[in-house]
Order: sequence, then C-alpha cells, then structure tokens
Amino acid sequence: MSAADTSTEQQLQAELERLRARMQALELELVEVQTHANSVVAEWQDRVYWLERWHLDLNALMRRPGAAEFRTAVRAVRAVVRAAKKTKRRLQGQ
Amino acid sequence: MITVSVVIPVKDGERYLQELLDALATEGVDETLVIDSGSRDRSLEIARAAGVELIEIAPEDFGHGRTRNLGAEHTSGDLICFLTQDATPCPGWLDAFREAFTLADHIGAAYGPHLPRADTSPMIERELTEFFAGFEADPPRPGTQAVARAAVQHSGDPHFMSNVNACYARSCWEEIRFREVAYSEDQAFGADMLAAGWSKVYHPGAAVLHAHDYGAVEFMRRYFDEYRGLRVSSGHVEPFAPISASREVAAAVAADRRWLAQRDIGGAELAQWTARSAVHHGGRRVFSALGSRSERLPAPLRRRISLEGRDGVEATVISTPTDPAQAVPALPAGKHIAKMLPHDDYEPITRIWREGSAPLLDPVPGMSEREHLRLALVIPPFSRGSGGHNTLFQIFSRLERRGHACSVWLADYHNQMRELWPGVIYHDINEFFAPIKAPVYKGFDEWQGADVAIATGWQTVHPTLALNDCRARAYLVNDHEPEFFSTSTERVIARDTYSHDLHCIAASPWLRDLLIERYGASADAFQLGVDQAVYQPLPVERRTDTVVYYARHTTTRRAVPIGLMALTELHRRMPEVRIVLFGAENPLHAAFPYEHLGVLSPAQLPALYAQATVGLCLSLTNFSLMPKEMLACGLPCVELAGVSAESIFGEHGPLELAPLDPVRIADALERLLTDRVLWEHRSREGVEFVASHTWEHATDEVEAGLRHALREREVTAGVR
Repeated sequence: MSAADTSTEQQLQAELERLRARMQALELELVEVQTHANSVVAEWQDRVYWLERWHLDLNALMRRPGAAEFRTAVRAVRAVVRAAKKTKRRLQGQ
Repeated sequence: MITVSVVIPVKDGERYLQELLDALATEGVDETLVIDSGSRDRSLEIARAAGVELIEIAPEDFGHGRTRNLGAEHTSGDLICFLTQDATPCPGWLDAFREAFTLADHIGAAYGPHLPRADTSPMIERELTEFFAGFEADPPRPGTQAVARAAVQHSGDPHFMSNVNACYARSCWEEIRFREVAYSEDQAFGADMLAAGWSKVYHPGAAVLHAHDYGAVEFMRRYFDEYRGLRVSSGHVEPFAPISASREVAAAVAADRRWLAQRDIGGAELAQWTARSAVHHGGRRVFSALGSRSERLPAPLRRRISLEGRDGVEATVISTPTDPAQAVPALPAGKHIAKMLPHDDYEPITRIWREGSAPLLDPVPGMSEREHLRLALVIPPFSRGSGGHNTLFQIFSRLERRGHACSVWLADYHNQMRELWPGVIYHDINEFFAPIKAPVYKGFDEWQGADVAIATGWQTVHPTLALNDCRARAYLVNDHEPEFFSTSTERVIARDTYSHDLHCIAASPWLRDLLIERYGASADAFQLGVDQAVYQPLPVERRTDTVVYYARHTTTRRAVPIGLMALTELHRRMPEVRIVLFGAENPLHAAFPYEHLGVLSPAQLPALYAQATVGLCLSLTNFSLMPKEMLACGLPCVELAGVSAESIFGEHGPLELAPLDPVRIADALERLLTDRVLWEHRSREGVEFVASHTWEHATDEVEAGLRHALREREVTAGVR
C-alpha cells in the first residue's frame, strides 16, 4: 500500500469518526428534546385531569353561541363587585 | 353518444300519459317503449298517436320485475330508463341521468327525486321532499347545484331504488336483472347490484312530477301491498309497536303542522289537515305492519285489503322448476345489513398479516450502549388491580428515573377505555400502579418514533409492529398468554405474537425458555421484584391455625376449583383450621366454612400475610408476584410443582411445592401447619431469598434486555 493510499484511508477513517461523533451528539440532543417534550405534555396531562375526567373541552365550550357573551357578562359583574369592594374599603379607611 | 331507451308499463294510464310522452319527446330520448297490460281507457290510443313502440300483454302476464325485464329485452339503448305512467320528467331529466353515469366508475343505476304535483296533499309533499333530501351528498361535491347534491352510493349504503323514475346501465341490468317478485323489484335490484359491487347514483336533477295522492282508504290499501312486496324482496317486517308507533305518528303530525305553518296555512284549514295527517300516518303504520304479515291473514281478507286485489302469498321467486325432481328449496331473501363498525375489531392484526411489519430504522453503531434511550411502552387497556400493568409500571417508572425518554401508548382497538381521555389515563396509572412522568397517548396518531418500542401483551404486539421510526422492538412477556384462552381466535393471535421479530424479555426463566424452545424467539428473562418497603415481616402476632388462599376464580389459570378441593380435604382432616379466602369480590360456594375478605388493597395484604400461618397461591402458567410477597412477609407458601416455580426458587427453595393434586396440596398445607421446624425454616428462607428480588434489580434486567434488542440489530446489520 502506498503512502498516498494510507493517507486517504486515514482521512476516510477520520471523517467516519467525525460523522459518528456528530451523529451521537444529534442522538443525545434528540433524547433531550424528547425528554423535555414528554415532561411538558405529562405536566399538562396532570393539570387537565379534572377537565378530562368531566369530558370538558374548554375550547369547544367557548365556541358555543353565547359563551363569549356570558364571559363578558361575568367579567362586567366581577368589575362592578371589585369596584364596590374597593369603595367600601376606602370608606372604611383601610 | 350514449343512447337512452325509456320503458313505461301502462294500465289505464290516460290521465298523465300524454303529458309524459310529450316530456320525453322534449327531452330527446332515443327510444320509447310502452308495455300495456290490458288498458280499457285511451292509453293505447295515446301511445299509438305519439308514435312510440307498443307491446300489449295480458293482465295476468304482468309482473313488476318480469314486465320490466321484458321491456329491457325489447329495447337497445345503452341506458334503460323506467318510468311509471304517472311520472312526468322535468326539464333537464335526461341530461341529469346521463351525467349521473359519469360521476364514478362502475355506476350501474341512477334514480332521481319525485316532485309533488300541484294537487298533492301536504303530508305527501313534505315526506317526498324530506325523503329525497336524505339521499343528497353530504358534504356537497364541487359543481353545479344539482351535481353538488348528487350522491354516489356503494355497498353498505341504502339500497333504495324506485322504478317510478330510474335509469339502468344495460350492462348492469344484464348482469343483475329484476327479480320476478310481485312488488318492490326495484329495491331488490338495488340490494343485488350493490352486493355485486356496482354503485348507484342519486341525482337531484333527474326529477319527475309524481305523487300517489290516494284517498285515505286507498292509501292504506296501497301501503298494505307495498309492505307485502317489501317483505318478499328484502325480508323486512314492519314492527307492531303501539307505543313507539304512536310516538312516531305524533311526531309526523307535528312535522306536517310545521310544514303547513311555514306555508302560512292556519285556522280551520290547519285543523282539517291535522286530522287528515293523523289518519294518514296512523293508518299507514297499521296497514304496513299488516302487509308485512299478510300471510297470516285469510285469503279473502287479503284480497279485500289489497288495492290490486291480490290474495296469494308470494314467495321470493315466482318461477318454479317444472321437474319436481329438480325442485330446490327456496331461500329466504337475504336481509341487507349496513356497515356497523368503522373498522374490523382486529384491524391492526389484519394489517400486519397483510402488509407485514413496518420497516425499522437503520441501526446506529453504539446505540445499545447509549446512556439514555427513547423508550415507548405500548400497553393494553387496564383496570385497578391489574398485576401485569403493575409490573410494567414498577419497571417503567424506574427506567424513567434513570433518564430514559419514556412515553406510554394505549393500544385499545376494542375501545374498552374510549370514555377515558389521556389525562385521566395518566392519572389512573399514577394512582393504580407507580408514579410516572411519561405522557400517555391513546392510539398512535401522535407517534414520534423511539429507539425501542415495547409491546407488553398479546393485544399490543401487532399495533407495535405497525409503528414506524423505531430502531428496535421488544416484547415484555408477563405470561404465556395463549394458555389464557381455550381454542379460539384470541389463542391463535396470542400464539402469533411470538412469531414476529421482537426481542422477548420474559418474566421468569421458565417463560424465557418456553419462548425460545417452542417459538424459536430471541429472549431474555427478568425476575419480578417485590416492594420490600411494603412487604416485610410486621410486628403482628402470627396465628398458628390460619390458611390464606388467593381464590381469584375469575382468573382461570389460578386453578381455583383445585384449590377449593385441596382446602375441602384439609378441612376434613383438620376442621379446626381457620380458612381465609381473598382476591374475589363475591364469596365462592365451598364445601367448608371460611372467612371471605374480598379484594384487598396492597396496603392490606401485608397485614393479612403477617398474621396468617400458611399461604396458598396456585398458578398453572407463569409464576406470579403474590407468593414472593407472601414470602417477603415471612409467610410460607404452597405453590404448584412442575410449572414455573422451580425456575425461580429451585427444587429445594423456600416454597413448599406440591403437584397438581388436591390431596398432595392438602398434604403440603398440613405439613406447614403441623411441623413447626419446617415452618420456621420456610419462613426464614423465604425472607432471605426474596430480599434480593427488588424492582431495581428487575429494572436492571429489563434494561439489559432492551439494550440486547438494540445490540441484535447492530450485529445483524454488521455495524457492531
């Protein structure tokens, strides 16, 4: 085997090692990304437990006719109640 | 150009015949044939004057199917339209039918709506309109308004056809032909053609003006005849159900009233139509039910009720062989059953048998040694107390804690858990089995790929084999599941699961050896762990007279009848011994007195084991966790010899083994109850033996098995 051949062989080997290392790094990154995604999904599954137990899809609920208006009305009532409580506290000097 | 022939059976049809023939001339059909069966009005004269072809037959030769077949034979068009003598085509009728046959491949027939004439009663008008609207395409197809609503119907769709206004491809008619039934030959044709693989089209543009606006009595007699025919053509029997029929009639009358109100009809006219409507719908229900059962009525009564004066009882096929020696028993008309399921119950299995497993990703050198893997656990449906799932999640939760990226996938193709959403399943796994942080998915729509996809039961193997983007597949085998079933489909499928290219990780050396020897599988083994923090000797005074028996009779591999026989024998010998049964909701019938504890929680079991003298737990297949848990609590236990226990404990291990024989099992129980030295020895040995059987150790073994699955792929691909 000539020196040139040996050199080419070494270069190919080095390239192969470099690619393997890169692949390993990407695999590790994939595991990390998947782990993170899994934990986010699992956390949300934990949070929505009661909604799912009662088969409540809030997006579907809010798409129903009158839902947005109902929410606006609740917010309006809540604003009035808060204002009344605030006024009461002021009058009581708190 | 596709040619069109029109066939019109006629008898005393002068009222609309001229109008009909004029409309056909306007539409430009290629050929019109009138078949007259004994008209005594001007029908023949009108037909001759119009210059159409005319065939005259004797009235007794008329048959709805037979006469139409005759008409088809005497015409030559590529399409054959059938109209009744009172159905007048509307403008665009012929173009619509021609268009219908271009909407899909293999269209055999088409039909169009019947529009009400001006003098039609509101009941008929509403029903006709709503009835035909029900056939329209949903969602609409692209195109003009009529095409948009045209619907192509295939096998499994309604087989409705109506020869009041229908068009057939000659090739389809030649293959199917009308049955020679007295009535409803069109419905029979519809069923036959769909069953033969043809499709049909409902085209709203192919409309005719038509209404059978009979008087109330005539209308009922007409329905009597209709349902006699329907019984013959499709086997349909209209139910006699007074309460539900009353409800349906009331609903129909209310619908008629709404229809009338929309047309600004009120006051006395509305009241009058309401009464007519009640008679109309009520009478129809009664007479259609009677027509379905006409064979039970006396012939003279049948003739009186029939609008056509028929008193015979029709068989499905009127023509009979002339040679009695060749007589073949008439078959009943097959009842068409529409598609009921979105897919077959075993669809994932069929898919694997048809297409094979999904290809695996190319192996990557060193993947089996990587510290953290992406693991996907495919599980079958479960309920609280499932031992197999407990094993899975005890191990899986520990794999997760070791840093592997884990996810859980529920394969539930029998929809046993359809009511539960993923968040609930996630919660239940945490509550019933072990704490996990892995997300839970129902089905595989969100499949993301994995280093190892892990099947965990016979129901999960085929769905796992169908998963793409995996580097390897493994099979956590808790038991030899074909033995759970008698000769059955389940048994065949369970056996099949071991014949695929999955690396098995079996829950005992016995099971591993069985998989290798019987199925040639590649397999490792792991030992079931015991939760040492829960199952341990407790500071409770132990009784010297108590046998506790895990009598879960719903699990047949537990051999409960044999256990009960053994306890009956023991009771005969030692009536003073206290017997306690647990593991089943309801008390069993036994030939000895006992205490029934029902199903106990994992927290209660150690307390029971701590106070008992001897435990009895039988398994006809793989060894289960329960005897290990008894031993961990210092409770000697009797198990079956010659199955799987020796592979774990050895022949002289801490268990008292007995063959599958009630007398020998009773002997073993008696030995432990009476020989204090033996009891002490077994109790001490059991605790010592099980001490090393932890879930951490089981997890080590399973993890090694998963890495083995990856390593096998590396070796096979030559990258190792």
